[in-house]
Amino acid sequence: MKIALVGNPNSGKTTLFNDLTGSKQFVGNWPGVTVEKKEGQIKNYKDVTIVDLPGIYSLSPYTLEEVISREYLINEKPDLIINIIDGSNMERNLYLTTQVLELGIPTVVACNMMDVVEKNQISIDLNGLSKELGVKILPISASKVEGIDLLIEEVVKENNKPSKELDVYSKDVLDSITKIENIISKETNEFLRFKAIKLFEKDEKIMVGFDKKEILKLVDNFEEKFDDDTESVITTQRYEFITNTLKKYIKKNSKQILHTSDKIDRVVTNRFLALPIFILVMGIVYYVSVTTIGEFVTDWTNEVLFGEIIPPLVTTFLENINASPVLISLIVDGIIAGVGAVLGFVPQMLVLFTFLAILEDCGYMARIAFIMDRIFRKFGLSGKSFIPMMIGTGCSVPAIMASRTIENERDRRMTITTTSFMPCGAKLPVIALIAGALFNNSGWVSNSAYFVGIFSIIASGIILKKTKRFSGDPAPFVMELPAYHLPNIKNVFRSVYERGSSFIKRAGTVILLATIIIWFLSNFGFTEGSFGMVEDLNTSILAALGNIFAPLFAPLGWGQWKATVATVAGLVAKEAVVGTLGVLYGMAEVSEEGVEIWSQLALDFTALSAYSFLLFNLLCAPCFATMGAIKREMNNTGWTIFAISYQTIFAYTISLIFYQIGLFVTTGAFGFWTIVAIALILIYLYLLFRPEPSKKYKTNVNYN
Amino acid sequence: MLLTLMNEGSLLKILKINGKKETKTFLESLGFVNGADISIVQKMDGNIIVNIKDSRVAINKDIANKIIVQEVL
Repeated sequence: MKIALVGNPNSGKTTLFNDLTGSKQFVGNWPGVTVEKKEGQIKNYKDVTIVDLPGIYSLSPYTLEEVISREYLINEKPDLIINIIDGSNMERNLYLTTQVLELGIPTVVACNMMDVVEKNQISIDLNGLSKELGVKILPISASKVEGIDLLIEEVVKENNKPSKELDVYSKDVLDSITKIENIISKETNEFLRFKAIKLFEKDEKIMVGFDKKEILKLVDNFEEKFDDDTESVITTQRYEFITNTLKKYIKKNSKQILHTSDKIDRVVTNRFLALPIFILVMGIVYYVSVTTIGEFVTDWTNEVLFGEIIPPLVTTFLENINASPVLISLIVDGIIAGVGAVLGFVPQMLVLFTFLAILEDCGYMARIAFIMDRIFRKFGLSGKSFIPMMIGTGCSVPAIMASRTIENERDRRMTITTTSFMPCGAKLPVIALIAGALFNNSGWVSNSAYFVGIFSIIASGIILKKTKRFSGDPAPFVMELPAYHLPNIKNVFRSVYERGSSFIKRAGTVILLATIIIWFLSNFGFTEGSFGMVEDLNTSILAALGNIFAPLFAPLGWGQWKATVATVAGLVAKEAVVGTLGVLYGMAEVSEEGVEIWSQLALDFTALSAYSFLLFNLLCAPCFATMGAIKREMNNTGWTIFAISYQTIFAYTISLIFYQIGLFVTTGAFGFWTIVAIALILIYLYLLFRPEPSKKYKTNVNYN
Repeated sequence: MLLTLMNEGSLLKILKINGKKETKTFLESLGFVNGADISIVQKMDGNIIVNIKDSRVAINKDIANKIIVQEVL
């Protein structure tokens, strides 16, 4: 038996799905969070499969979610539909229900949020409504897991029948629909009523395969006779039917009560208070998860767990079983050091994820998007892009994962491409190293890093939105704001678990492989004509590779192989830049900021080249873990390559401009690369200030 | 009167929605239909949060400018 779960966004659909299946799944408050299809088995009924369709408001063909749901229902023909409706918002939810019932598939309606309904002193006569609509309606509360067992009992019954025909439309409309049914019955006998109504609404997607001319003639006649658009006739009659029906079965306490959510919104989204409140909330989240609890736990994991506890234990164990030194080196210096460095961020991320899940679940996240949309729209990003950037100051991996909540594909890709420009936690040691070695530990170095990050995101937004790749209509901002409610612990836990486990899984695959490769390259090499393990890093394959690629970075001011190798090592994890430089400059062990090598580093770099090195490392392709996240969220190889190439080219050109122009200003040196830098500036200015070509496409498309 | 010109807290009725069919239909499915009661919860530089059919919907200025309303006395 196959069941489809259909309902509005924010109706508690995903929570109900979890209740029914007991599966682990991410739940958010964003409309349209379930874009992918999710399946599960109903608890204790192994042969009953349930499919969670995307949250939709209607079965019209205008949003991707609607199209996905419609096509699933028509093509897969589930045996039963569970239509979940929000009892505190019946009128709008039943708009979808009237369309679902027209499909003629047996349907059970689950009326959710009955606890809220009770609290708001609304009384709903579900029995009466059930009789009038000819469909079973069961009261549930998905978040409190009430009424779920009764619902399961009802849906697994084999005797559920399609509902009777509803008395929704006027006689004229009904006549036309019947005529269309007669026309299309020559081609099909499935979903006749549903298709006929959609055809009456001139639904292009259903039109395929039918006698378009005859149908359109009929529709045109109707529109002329009644001087109205058929689609709005249907919409209006549906809403009228719902309003009139509900009048009989719903009694509200008083009409004028101001909902708690409205009261909160008066303050939280207030013209003057919105931004300060938002900054305060984010400040607290950031402070707690990154600098207090987060830093404490992360430092402990990095320095104690993966520094003092695990490595000696593993080393002793391996020595006791007489493992070869090569194997011990691979495991301890390669895998534990590399994977450990990444896993060290897990506790910090879990704290951050918990906060975000709470903000998401209680409904505040949707407001943030609304508040920030005004500002972000100006440079081609959506208000929803702000959350990923905020998380990005902690770690880019969860940041990019958080971009999933942006349902507009163009906005989402733009956010994924630019988010890792924010200096993440792992880049801070690199910043500290450069600041300490060459800038007297000046605070402006780290401040400028954040400025560079924000500047790069804004500039990239403006540049990219004018390219063909990102062109197109900006999605109009229409978003339902869910009612505020206390966060559901189960939902929060599930969300943290999902995000956390997918990060840890990645550490176990991509990062594991990468660390093994880097370990191999830095520990093996040719000495005195033979290949083998090398003691001196200078003779390793990595050094040899570094020497080959170093000239590439000469125009940026740091064409030494050591800096090159450190940058490559940064692909494993950004803080590895410091560790690698430490090893390359002859220190076996360096502290996080690399104080020991400051003086030596200062000999190899100038202030200019050091800052250029920093710029490149801040902006270039992120670490492997982030690249993995980009690949997963883009879900497309071409877009992944585009994003990483864009970041690297952007980093290279910006560093080049900085170094060459800086060199010219400070020393007056003028050469080939100075000209290149000037040319690049001109190109960037052009890309930033050229008129938006997409505007032109837009009008063209409109006339098609 | 355009929705953007109305004050916070005023009770209104939708007279007409202009604009592209896609946007209009999406708005309709959210309850923005002719004759529907609508009230403004919050205004922020033209971006508006409205209360419609028992739910809160945030819309930006572009959309709000396409919604024609009338005050309910």
